[in-house]
Amino acid sequence: MARKFPALIVLLFRLRFLRSAEYVLGDLLEEYNAGTRSRRWLWRQAFSLLLPGTRDSNAAYDQPKGAMNMTYVSSFWSDLCYAARTLRKNPGFTAVAVLAIALGIGVNTGIFTVLNGVALRPLPVHNATEVVSVYQTMKGLKSRNIHGSRNFFSTSEYVAYRDGNHVFSGLLAYTPFLQVTLGGDRPQQLLGQLTSCNYFDVLNAPPALGRAFTASECASEGAGPVVVLNHDLWRNAFGSDPEIAGKKIVMNRRLLTVVGVAAQSFQGTEPVPAAFWAPISMQPVLEHDFNWLAKDDSSWLVLLGRTKAGVSVERVRADLGVIAGRIDQLTPGRKTSLQIATASFLGMPEARQLVFGVGAVLMAAVGMVLLIACANVANLLLARAAGRHKEIAIRLSVGASRARLVRQLLTESMLIALLGGALGSLISVWSFQGIVKFILSHLPHGTPPVIVNVGPDLGVLGYAMILTIVTGIVFGLAPALQASRPDLNSVLKDAGSGLVGRSGTGGFLRNALVGAQICVCMMLLIGAGLLLRGLYLAQTIDPGFSLKNVATVSFDLRGLGYDAHHAAVFNRQVMERMAALPGVDSVAQTAVTPLSDSHDGTTFSLPGQPGQRQVEINSVTPEYFSMLGIPIVRGRNFTEAETTAGAAVTIVTETTARRFWPGEDPIGKLLAQPPSPAKQVVGVARDTQVSHLSRSNETYLYLPAGPKEQLHLKLLVHSPDVFASTAKGIQAAVHALDPDVLADVARLEDNLEFWRTPPRIVATLAGALGALGLLLASIGVYGVVSYAVSGRIREIGLRMTLGADAREVMKLILRQAMRPVLIGAATGIAGCAAVSRVLSSMLFGLSAHDPLAFIAIPLLLLSIAMLASYIPARRATKVDPMVALRYE
Amino acid sequence: MASREHLGEFEQIVLLAVLRLGENAYGVPVRHEIEKRTKRSLTVGALYRTLDRLEAKGYVASWFGDPVAERGGRSKRYFRLEPLGARALRQSQKALAAMWEGVELSKVIRGS
Repeated sequence: MARKFPALIVLLFRLRFLRSAEYVLGDLLEEYNAGTRSRRWLWRQAFSLLLPGTRDSNAAYDQPKGAMNMTYVSSFWSDLCYAARTLRKNPGFTAVAVLAIALGIGVNTGIFTVLNGVALRPLPVHNATEVVSVYQTMKGLKSRNIHGSRNFFSTSEYVAYRDGNHVFSGLLAYTPFLQVTLGGDRPQQLLGQLTSCNYFDVLNAPPALGRAFTASECASEGAGPVVVLNHDLWRNAFGSDPEIAGKKIVMNRRLLTVVGVAAQSFQGTEPVPAAFWAPISMQPVLEHDFNWLAKDDSSWLVLLGRTKAGVSVERVRADLGVIAGRIDQLTPGRKTSLQIATASFLGMPEARQLVFGVGAVLMAAVGMVLLIACANVANLLLARAAGRHKEIAIRLSVGASRARLVRQLLTESMLIALLGGALGSLISVWSFQGIVKFILSHLPHGTPPVIVNVGPDLGVLGYAMILTIVTGIVFGLAPALQASRPDLNSVLKDAGSGLVGRSGTGGFLRNALVGAQICVCMMLLIGAGLLLRGLYLAQTIDPGFSLKNVATVSFDLRGLGYDAHHAAVFNRQVMERMAALPGVDSVAQTAVTPLSDSHDGTTFSLPGQPGQRQVEINSVTPEYFSMLGIPIVRGRNFTEAETTAGAAVTIVTETTARRFWPGEDPIGKLLAQPPSPAKQVVGVARDTQVSHLSRSNETYLYLPAGPKEQLHLKLLVHSPDVFASTAKGIQAAVHALDPDVLADVARLEDNLEFWRTPPRIVATLAGALGALGLLLASIGVYGVVSYAVSGRIREIGLRMTLGADAREVMKLILRQAMRPVLIGAATGIAGCAAVSRVLSSMLFGLSAHDPLAFIAIPLLLLSIAMLASYIPARRATKVDPMVALRYE
Repeated sequence: MASREHLGEFEQIVLLAVLRLGENAYGVPVRHEIEKRTKRSLTVGALYRTLDRLEAKGYVASWFGDPVAERGGRSKRYFRLEPLGARALRQSQKALAAMWEGVELSKVIRGS
């Protein structure tokens, strides 16, 4: 009784017979459990029933030893052998077909691997399928403090779910990102997580060294001044000190005791690895002037729960829903809905949506490449099947059923698909790990390191398998159906097949496939062309101000406990020291560095005009304009006095002035924002692209960088000297003032990378896909034309005997070959024109219907198609009429 | 028509096995009976395909018993010889007996 009956057999039986063969399973189980039978015996018995087409067959009446089921097995086996033999005999055809499918499946599997690694793969912890993530969406709330995402929870909500649920063996909470400055000889900025004290227990990820947190460390605000270090941080910053537990370190100027070091494989529960973990009770301590911990209306915590054994996600949803209802009752009007799913690195609903959106576009693009490959191989198969017309007709006429023939032809295409799929999966596993590493290492300055695990797993394997099988059917079925339906009479007699200039019914399908390939290829290539043109613009565009020789300096004063007053003092001293550095000729302050990825905005009302105006704002000191070469075209710059006092004055851009006060002098106009005093326009600055590359016609205005902004200001330092030495000087100056402050010094020009990287990645990808598609499509065109030519040798010979010259023959063939190409090309251009708008954010002002891309690319593609048909067509004109007429 | 069809050898064997087992004629014992007596092995696939065919011809009838715990809660499918099947067996027996009459095999075997 103790032997384990293979569940796979039960599954296969249910798939094959539903529940009508349970008694057979009963028989097998009974005998197997008696203990005298081997597993091999069991499988043989199962297969004697399972192989399709055997159970209801009554073709043979009386065959002992289960020989009857062999009719199918042997026919399948002989099909397979036959297919392998034919493929081996046509190495050229096989190589092209397998390679085409391998490339198609390779890119698809590769992209899927990346998506899987980013968004689908469960967390790398023990029994990850038990861990679910919980997010909430709230409606009907008047106000809510958001720290991270509106889908996060407050402390009191977390406690309510943790203590009230009946489905989790443990529910943890954490805040995904906390940036701190690690003090010491060489301070550095770290990204870590604040966690509930059961974090490591619930995830079942015990520290490699020391201990995790205890419940008492989360009991009250500031109760747990302890920290668990990431293994990498422990190695790099603390030299793998084995005695680290119990030592004190400084974070954001607070003393914390190291209690443990996480296991090497554990990097936290976010795509960005956590450098450390501290109890959530330490939030107000580490973030000085903010307290999320005690506020009931702050969203700052992500919840992960480990379900008790056998609890389904539905039950979790129902159970937590009750608690959500209870919380809703405390606040009238509030309506909470929960999002519960198996936890993955990308749990946040907004992020998932974004990644799935991008993923869908990518999958569509690579899907198109696979489609081209399929069309291609289908075409090759059609051409080949046409060559086998006679063989097939004979088999049909001596009594083979059509189903039998289709099965055999499908076996052949399946074999190609399987070979291609295996090869493609190998290619993708090898190449995509490298590609992802390359992309991650070329992200713009300041992007945190992201973990993307692109190793293959069962999901990837399953995806590749399904894709392969679908592919085999997609490219094999139409040719197989087509080929097994010949008109027996005419084929056997071979009457006129060479004389009539049409290649029969297969001709339409073949031409349609070529057209489709060209169409898809055209869309990919034009897309790539547009992106490349956009990229070129992004590299060469003049943003309207000078980025050269400017360094940006930013530091986190707030995290170190500075208030606005102390920050102002610090900033003033730092600027004095920097101005004294050799080579530095000017220093400015700004809230937002030009072309960075952060933007400040607000709304004003204009006296005398209805409604509110949305404006992007930046707070700067007077030196900002001269350093970046932005002229004040009317009025005047800010004065020193105005910045130190934070006066109610503003400088607007030309576009803003034109939009707000058309036809009037903007100087002296007022912008109201009660209760603060109305701001008076003192100057007009020239339009530049400081906010978005290639977009200068936005409403944008400058305010003086006053005392209130001091905590958030960054510095711009202009020096014609080598950047490295300037950076060193800046860092030394900051360090001398406050050794805990860590200055992040970067080139202002690096901000351009932020704009150039996405189009660069996308253009490279689209270009590679387009090139792949072009290669496949030209093979397709070549194959079809050369097939058509070889089928018409006799006709051509006849024409030439009757006086047609080589040029006319060539024209005839090219005309017929190019018709489907032209139709496909036109469709592709029209299709691309219809959808190219989606790329506009990456085109930097280039029209989505850029004539250069829309003319040059089609010309390129058409000339390649022309070449692909010219080579085989030339063969036709070399035909010796006598040989051709004797042909067959 | 059915009565004019002849039983194949394997069909006869299966029908005889069902007959011999009487009350206990379900898959496992039927196969054991055949394997034991004919000294050849057969798969469940072959057995059930033959039984299904014999049932379709009206030679045997089948029904399901109660679920059995040792079989994972699955029931047994029992078979019983029907009068039509008995008649067909008798016919085959007669035909074979007629063919065997006056035949001497041992000479041929010794001669070879």
